[in-house]
Amino acid sequence: MTAVRASAPWSIAVLGVAALVAAPWLIGEGAQRFLSEAMLMLAMAQMWNLLAGYAGLVSMGQQVFVGLGAYCLFFSSIWLKVAPFWVLPLAPLLCAVVAAIVALFMFRLREAYFAIGTWVFSEVVSLMISKTERLGGERGVGLPTARLVDPRWLEPLTFWTSAAIALASVFGTYALLRSRVGLGLMTVRDNEVAAASIGVDVWRNRFIAFVIAAAGCGIAGAVSFTAALYVAPGFAFDPNWVVAMMIIVIIGGIGTLEGPILGVIIYFALREALTVVFGLSAGWYLIGLGTVAIAAILFEPDGLWPLVRGRLGGDWLSVRREPPTSGWIAAATPAAEGVRSSPSGLGTTPSDR
Amino acid sequence: MIWVETIVNGILYGGLYGLLGVGLALIVGVMRVVNLSHGEFIVLSAFLGVSLVGVFPWLHPLALILPVAVIAFGLGVALQAVLINRVVTRPDPFAGILLTFGVAVVMRNLMVEIYGADLRHLQAGQLAQASTGVGALHVGVLPLLILALSVALFTALQLLLTRTRFGRIVRATADHRDVVRLMGVNPGRVYNLVMGLSLALASVAGMLLAIRASFSPYSGVERLLVSFEVVVLGGLGTFWGAMLGGIALGVAELVGLRLDPNAGPLYAHLLFLVGVLLRPNGLFRVRT
Repeated sequence: MTAVRASAPWSIAVLGVAALVAAPWLIGEGAQRFLSEAMLMLAMAQMWNLLAGYAGLVSMGQQVFVGLGAYCLFFSSIWLKVAPFWVLPLAPLLCAVVAAIVALFMFRLREAYFAIGTWVFSEVVSLMISKTERLGGERGVGLPTARLVDPRWLEPLTFWTSAAIALASVFGTYALLRSRVGLGLMTVRDNEVAAASIGVDVWRNRFIAFVIAAAGCGIAGAVSFTAALYVAPGFAFDPNWVVAMMIIVIIGGIGTLEGPILGVIIYFALREALTVVFGLSAGWYLIGLGTVAIAAILFEPDGLWPLVRGRLGGDWLSVRREPPTSGWIAAATPAAEGVRSSPSGLGTTPSDR
Repeated sequence: MIWVETIVNGILYGGLYGLLGVGLALIVGVMRVVNLSHGEFIVLSAFLGVSLVGVFPWLHPLALILPVAVIAFGLGVALQAVLINRVVTRPDPFAGILLTFGVAVVMRNLMVEIYGADLRHLQAGQLAQASTGVGALHVGVLPLLILALSVALFTALQLLLTRTRFGRIVRATADHRDVVRLMGVNPGRVYNLVMGLSLALASVAGMLLAIRASFSPYSGVERLLVSFEVVVLGGLGTFWGAMLGGIALGVAELVGLRLDPNAGPLYAHLLFLVGVLLRPNGLFRVRT
């Protein structure tokens, strides 16, 4: 490993961040809006991936946190009479607290039961907000405090916030998975009984992942509806949020950090191709994507990323850990060499996927 | 008196909910897959009913239940044979729910494109208005008929699974799918028939529900959640538990609507959440 190769990722990162900072001066408002939407969708998909791909929790009710984040931002901004961006941190905070409480009883449900249990919870929250006139009822509310932001800066600020959230979702998840919690999550995913027997606290690791994913979806939802300047229960708690997250993760590659990125690119490229170029309705676009997702589950359950990585080579954002290269293991057993050089690490390092 | 009437109506309505859920309970019990497109098939059968009424306007909608159930049976066999059997043996417990969720997304949007997003209703003519009663208690004839039909179908299903050769094969497959192979049973084929049966039951419930409540292509989510709540509240393993779970949800919904007219299914959902909190293994669990 030479110094040049080690510094390459850093220069790419610096260039990437510089491009994101400069982008509002280089591209038009329409392009900024489109990219903001895609980056927020990436953040949500990454959160769903953290749950389904690493924590073994398939949540079909993740839209509840998208909606709660949006409602938290709208009403804290309206009641406190401050610009929406100042109260943004409240959205993930509220979602984290709600998730911590919900987890206490939803975690009694396993697998498919958990999936639909969270969905029912989302419906309950949606129905309750629809019935509360103080929260805008079924008609929803606008965001008059958006006027407190200079209109020239509204779009760039949304863009930068979205970019920051997307980057945080990818690298935050990376850091989490490299930590003790992440290692615990992956051992649980790979073999729950074995993990528990070596002292991994299954419940605690899942709890942390669920709370983080709720906060991530909450902040992404808050920014997404700030850009729309309007929120109503029908849009905020729309099951299509989780449909999009799921399709992106399945197509890109579940249980990899790069999969959702690839998935978002495919998702939005297909959307633009089908709805703009071919003029198809949103319905046909969802039919097409759903069919692709079904095909992926049947024929490429690991998604497209493993195929792409095979072509490109390299480690990318793999959270795989290498066994120690020096010391008595490598010296004493020639098999350790074989372990280290195994291309995918399959069957040797359980933390890789 | 109005409360007695509300609760009686809730019981009658809940019988229908039980019927929505029993098909799903069957699938969960036999192959441990939760079919997330269950709600979409319920709505599809209602649309098939509407289409058939258009073709045979002289026939009463109740007479169309049988042909729709036969079509639903065929669709169930096809769904299982073409798609679900490919993932049912995977060790990953999520392949089944993700696959059927994909099917649900495709079906829902296909129905929007084909039938439009408007609310529909299945007209039952005079029968829908007829009512009967004991003393001051008034009850619709149609809800009574529907409950009777639900009970008859539950009994038939129970007899089919406990008293026939087919039922024995299904229960054996549910217990040990690898062992029944040694007895010359093909588990995939058993699953095909069970999914057909599940969706046939769902289609009967879907047709009956379409007479009682309006529906749109987006109703599938609501129907799936109710079916699922029936399965969880009823507890796995007993079909009568599903019936009781359905009745509990029906009563909760109608009492909730009486207290709070624009609540929708909120109180049924709340009953489910409370039920999960207190009795995660179902309210009426009798045996495992």
